[in-house]
Amino acid sequence: MTTATNLVPCEACISRISNLRIGAGAVGIVLGVIAAIGLLVQGHASFNTDSNLAWGLPAATYVFFVLTSTGLTFVASLATVFGLKDFYPIAKRCIWGAIATLVTGFIALGLEIGNPIRMLWVIPTNFATSSPMWWMGLFYTSYLFLLIWKFLLVQKGDWTSTHSKAIGIASLVTVIFAHATLGSVFGMMAMRPFWFGGMVPVYFLITAALSGLAFIMLFINLDYGMNHGNMTEGARRAMTRDMPAIFGLVLGLVLVFTLARTATGLWTNVTEIKVPMQYIVGSFWFQAELWLGMVLPLALMLSPYRTNAKVQTLAGLLVILALFIGRYEYVIGGQLVPLFKGAWYPDLSTYTPSLTEWGVVILAASLGLLLYAYGDKKLRLDDSPNG
Amino acid sequence: MAKWGMVIDLDKCTGCQACSTACAMENNTLPGESWQDVLYYHEGKFPSVNVKWFPRPCMHCENPSCMHVCPTKATYKDADGFVLIDWNKCIGCKYCMIACPYGVRFYTDEKPLFAPDLKDVFPGQDGQQWSPPYQNPHSDWTKGIGIQPKGVVSKCTFCHHKVSKAPAGVADLDEADPALKEFVPACVRTCAPKARYFGDLDNPNSTVNRLIADKRGVRLLEHTGNKPQVYYLGEHGTVPGFSRPDKS
Repeated sequence: MTTATNLVPCEACISRISNLRIGAGAVGIVLGVIAAIGLLVQGHASFNTDSNLAWGLPAATYVFFVLTSTGLTFVASLATVFGLKDFYPIAKRCIWGAIATLVTGFIALGLEIGNPIRMLWVIPTNFATSSPMWWMGLFYTSYLFLLIWKFLLVQKGDWTSTHSKAIGIASLVTVIFAHATLGSVFGMMAMRPFWFGGMVPVYFLITAALSGLAFIMLFINLDYGMNHGNMTEGARRAMTRDMPAIFGLVLGLVLVFTLARTATGLWTNVTEIKVPMQYIVGSFWFQAELWLGMVLPLALMLSPYRTNAKVQTLAGLLVILALFIGRYEYVIGGQLVPLFKGAWYPDLSTYTPSLTEWGVVILAASLGLLLYAYGDKKLRLDDSPNG
Repeated sequence: MAKWGMVIDLDKCTGCQACSTACAMENNTLPGESWQDVLYYHEGKFPSVNVKWFPRPCMHCENPSCMHVCPTKATYKDADGFVLIDWNKCIGCKYCMIACPYGVRFYTDEKPLFAPDLKDVFPGQDGQQWSPPYQNPHSDWTKGIGIQPKGVVSKCTFCHHKVSKAPAGVADLDEADPALKEFVPACVRTCAPKARYFGDLDNPNSTVNRLIADKRGVRLLEHTGNKPQVYYLGEHGTVPGFSRPDKS
């Protein structure tokens, strides 16, 4: 039997994956620009959002990616803050991935709002401290700077100095506040009962962790040609021993959370919660999210195949898709019931993302992919304190 | 300082939508950008159907959630009780539209309600989103008055450009008073059945306060805590709950 330790890293496989990723990113940018050209020509009239349903697919994409960034920082922190040695070999990748996904989210948000350039100076200068969104902006922007700072330190080989550890702790603390304020952007809206609740930041916390873990399962396995034999000893240990267990555990928690939230929504008599939940549960996408995106990957992580790189890649991909559907359901679901009943609002608000909105998503995701690919090629993401 | 408020008597309102039309003319709003609209709905089943209507301006709340969520302080409440938007600060994040329980905010950088798109017929000049040949000469982007630029949110201003010029200390702005009619909001001034009243809620002698007290004025969605400065009189002063039509 061939053991993992005596396999020779397949440089060609790794290089092929890397080139494929660059190619996919470049094609994605071209497709995204073509699809999003309507934004330049027609402005937001090319979106299918309206005054009844103000936040659409790009907003859900923003939530998805910034929470993924949050999750990647959680995993990186296992090494950089808590000193768990097994996670050092993937920590630098996680930090760079957190930067790439955060930038992706910011791009999606920037193309969704009316005056993104003005935002750069009116938010910092007006101190609108009663707004959860103001705090979210403050914390996520600080988080981006801290991530870059931490990455630069790690790039110089400074993993464990007091300075480097302090920046790592600051990144973790900041992103916990950031994700909580993002949760509050939705959770504080009492007039939108589907969103409302003090537990929303906790819901975002646990799903953010899962999102980060799923990205690791997908991307790090792809980085090494879906073969743990191509990994360094430490990375292989992390990906075959610790990560599947943590991934499965968090996935199980999210599944419980999702089922509890769904059951509560269906049971309640509050129309603004029950009706959107009935609508969502009745859709194909929810069933795909639940069975293919949560139950199946959980079954895979509970099986002996959980250490297999290809199985991990598949599970990561399925969970990512499920979480993306979940973010969309959450953001859109809170706006489905019109605020007033009347002849002009005879039913639930309707919304299907336009081609331009999909273009924005593809463009943002492709830029993020290329940013990650750049790091993979040029920034020695395999580094760890032990060399 | 006044605390301007409106009273709408639903027992007198005929649902004619003259208020909506006057508002659109006064403020040069686009189709669909109904700062003042009338919602129609029916309750019951044939033959016991009850058709109702509900005029809906911005409530200029005492405790406006739209203001609290604004990340740039573009939405603010001034000393006279108006809730206004500074278009020079608005970033078009639309959070205020999410947070307004009354659904009275509009983002017009979206698909036109019908063709031709008036933004194409009268292309915007000097930063305006569209520039019709006849415009209200009063424009103040720091208060959300006039035709807005692209990428910002708009809403009813309680005709701030008129009301703010009213003589100090006046209790009510009544369109029947020749000395005050120019200061009356367009929707109030045009209301044929005189279902609308506009006055100072801080003045105990105002007609609006008397009506609220005598006829048991109610505010919409009180449970949200927004405390509107628009009161409704009459038997229909509640918003019906949402129910999805039977799809079978």
